[in-house]
Amino acid sequence: MLDLLRFVFDIVAFTAVMVLIVLGLGVIASMMGIFNFAHGELVLLGAYTVSAVHDAGYSLWLGVLAAPIVVGLFGALLERTVIRRFYASPVIAMLGTYAIGLIIREIVRGLLGGQFRLVPEPWPGSWSLAGMDFSIWRGFIIVTTLAVIAGSWLLLTRTAFGLRIRGSLANPMLARACGISTDKLYAATFAFGAALAGLAGALVVPLYQLSADMGLRFLVQGFLSVMLGGVGTFEGPILGAAAIGALASGLPWTVPPVLADPLVFVIALVIVKFRPQGFIGGARK
Amino acid sequence: MKDSNFSDHVPAHANLRRRGFVFGASALAAAGWTAGGPGSWFLPAAWGQGKKAIKMGIATDITGPIAPSGNSNWQVAQLAVEQINAAGGIAGRPVELFLEDTASDPKAAVANVRKLIQRDNVDVVLGGITSAMRQAIKDPIVNRGKTLYIYPQLYEGQECTKHLFNTGPTPAQQCDELIPYLIKTVGKKRFALPSANYVWPQLLNKYARKVIQANGGEVVFEEYYPLDQPEYSATINKIRDGKVDCVFNTIIPPGLQPFTKQLYESGFQKNGGAFACVYFDENSLNYVAPSELEGVYSCLDFFHSVDDPYSKELLAAYAKKFPDTKYLFTAGSAATGMYRGIRLYEAAVNTTKGDTAREAVSAALDKTKIDKGPGGAAAMVPGKMHAKMNMYVAQCKKAEGAKLRWDVISKYNMVDPREC
Repeated sequence: MLDLLRFVFDIVAFTAVMVLIVLGLGVIASMMGIFNFAHGELVLLGAYTVSAVHDAGYSLWLGVLAAPIVVGLFGALLERTVIRRFYASPVIAMLGTYAIGLIIREIVRGLLGGQFRLVPEPWPGSWSLAGMDFSIWRGFIIVTTLAVIAGSWLLLTRTAFGLRIRGSLANPMLARACGISTDKLYAATFAFGAALAGLAGALVVPLYQLSADMGLRFLVQGFLSVMLGGVGTFEGPILGAAAIGALASGLPWTVPPVLADPLVFVIALVIVKFRPQGFIGGARK
Repeated sequence: MKDSNFSDHVPAHANLRRRGFVFGASALAAAGWTAGGPGSWFLPAAWGQGKKAIKMGIATDITGPIAPSGNSNWQVAQLAVEQINAAGGIAGRPVELFLEDTASDPKAAVANVRKLIQRDNVDVVLGGITSAMRQAIKDPIVNRGKTLYIYPQLYEGQECTKHLFNTGPTPAQQCDELIPYLIKTVGKKRFALPSANYVWPQLLNKYARKVIQANGGEVVFEEYYPLDQPEYSATINKIRDGKVDCVFNTIIPPGLQPFTKQLYESGFQKNGGAFACVYFDENSLNYVAPSELEGVYSCLDFFHSVDDPYSKELLAAYAKKFPDTKYLFTAGSAATGMYRGIRLYEAAVNTTKGDTAREAVSAALDKTKIDKGPGGAAAMVPGKMHAKMNMYVAQCKKAEGAKLRWDVISKYNMVDPREC
C-alpha cells in the first residue's frame, strides 16, 4: 500500500513537472498556431531570474514571483518585435524561434561561465510518512500545477478576455470584423504563454540546477506532448504532457532506463499514427 | 574575426593584454562564446631570446560544455610554465606555451590540434579532457604528427599507445583503496552502480565490480541512464528494495543533479547509506546542494585539504596568479594531471639535457619521476605509460556555516595504476 503511494507520488510529481513545462508551449501552439522552439529558453530565463534574484540577496520566493512577470514582459517584447512577423508562415516561425532560443541559451551560458549553478528550494525538506520521505517541494509543484491549470482554464473559458481569445482562434477574420483587436490579443496570449514558461522554470530549477541546457532537455518531449494531445485545444497538450510524463517516469520501473527513453517516443508515435489528430481533435484545422 | 595568431614577433606584454581583454573583459567571454572566436594563443617566455625555446602545446576545451575544466587546465599550465621559466627553464632553454581551443568538440579539435603540430611545430602536446576528445586528437598528434602527447584526466584506462603518457588516475587507483575502505571500515556490503551511459562509467564499473566482489561485497544492480535523464524514482526504488547500503555513482551532470536530489529526498543518507563518487572534488560543491553532498566519499590524487607543504604552496601561487577565478585547481578537472604532466616532461627533458627529439624524451619520460606536485610525488611506471601517484580517500564534511569541505581520511602512497 505504502509502496503504491510512493510509486504514485513519484509518477505524479514528474508528470506535474512535464505538464507545467508544456502548458505555455501548448497555449501558444493551440491559440496562435506558433510552435515556439524558444520555449525551453523561456523556461531557462525563468530559472535564471530566480537565481539572479537570489544572488542579489533577495528571497527565493520573490524570485519565484518575479520569474513569470519578467519572462511574460520579455515574451511581450519578443512578440512585438519578432514573432508577429511569423504569423503568416508557421515553418519559418519554427526556425525563427529556434534561432531566438539559441541566442538566449548562449547568452545565459556566457553569464554562467558554462558552469552549473545551485538554486535551493524556497521550501526545502520532506514529510515523513511511515519511514518514507516525500519531498515538500515536489508536493508544492503538484499543487501549483493543478492551480495553474485551473486558473488558466477559468481565464480562457469564464472571462471576456478568454472569450475573445477563443473567438480569434475560431475565426480571426470574423473576430476582427467584430472589433476585436486580434493583434493585441496575440501579443497578450504570447506573453501569457511566456509567463507560464517562466513560472515553470522558476519552480523546476531547484530539482535540476541552473545550466544553459536545462530548457533543451524538455523541448523534444514537450513537442511530442503537444502532438500527442492535439493542437488547438487547451486540454489537449495537458493530457499529452501527462501521458508523456507518466510514461517517462513509469517505464524505468519495468524496463532498463536506456531502453525506456526511446520507448516513450515509440509508444507516443504509435498512438499518433492511429490518432493523428491527437487525444482531442483540434479546433484549428 | 579572423583567427588570431600571435605566433611571431609580438612582445609579451601585448599578448598578455590581448588575452586579458578577451578572457577577462566580460563574463561572457569566459565560456560559451564558441567557435569563430580566437582559438589560438601564444605565451612566450620573458627571457632567453637567442636561445632555442621549448615549444609546449596545450590543446584543451576553452569553450563549450567542458570549458570550466578546460580553463582551469590552461591556467594551471600557465602557472607551471611560469614557475619553470622563473627557475631557469628546462636544461637552460625557455619554455613557450601554445594554446589551441578544442572547443569541447572532437571534430573541431582535430583541425585545431593540427595547427599546433604543423604550424607551431610544438615539441609536446598536453590536453584533452573527455575520452572522446583523447580518441579524436591522439592520432593527429601521435601517429600523423609524430609528437609526444600527455593526457591529464582521470579516465577509464586501457590507453596503451606509444608516446601517449597518462598522468591522471586510473580505475585501479580510484577503486583499489576506496572500495576496500567502504567495505572494511565503513562496513557497507550491498553496492548499487548507477551510471551515465558512456565509456568511462562502463569500464570503471567493470573494474569496481571486481574489487567489490574480491572484498566480499555484492553488486545489487548496475544500471545505465541517458546522460540527461531528469527522473530517477525507479532507481531510488531499486536502491530501497534492494537494501543497498552503498551507492557508487558515475552519473555525471546534467543527469547528476536530479539523481542526488532524489536520493537525498528518499532519506538514503539519513538512514545510514553511504554515497561514493570518484570524480567529486571542490568544484562539485558548486553544483550539488550541500545537504546532498555532506558525507559523500571520493578518492582522488589531490584535495585542497591535503596535508602537503608543496601542494599548499601551489594553491597559494594559483590563487595569487588568478585571484577570484571561478576555475578551481582541482583533481576532477584534470588540472592536477596537467601540472604533473608538465613537471614530468620537464624532468624528462632535463635528463636528455635539453634534447626534445620525441624518441629521446619518450625514453626518458618512461622512467621519470618528480618528488613534488599537487598531492605529492609521482613516477611513471616504466613501460606502462601511466603514473604512480598518491591517492587520497576523502569525505565531504560540514565546515563553518553551510559550507562544506573535503576531509582527507587516509593517504595511500604511490598507488599503482595497473594499466598496460
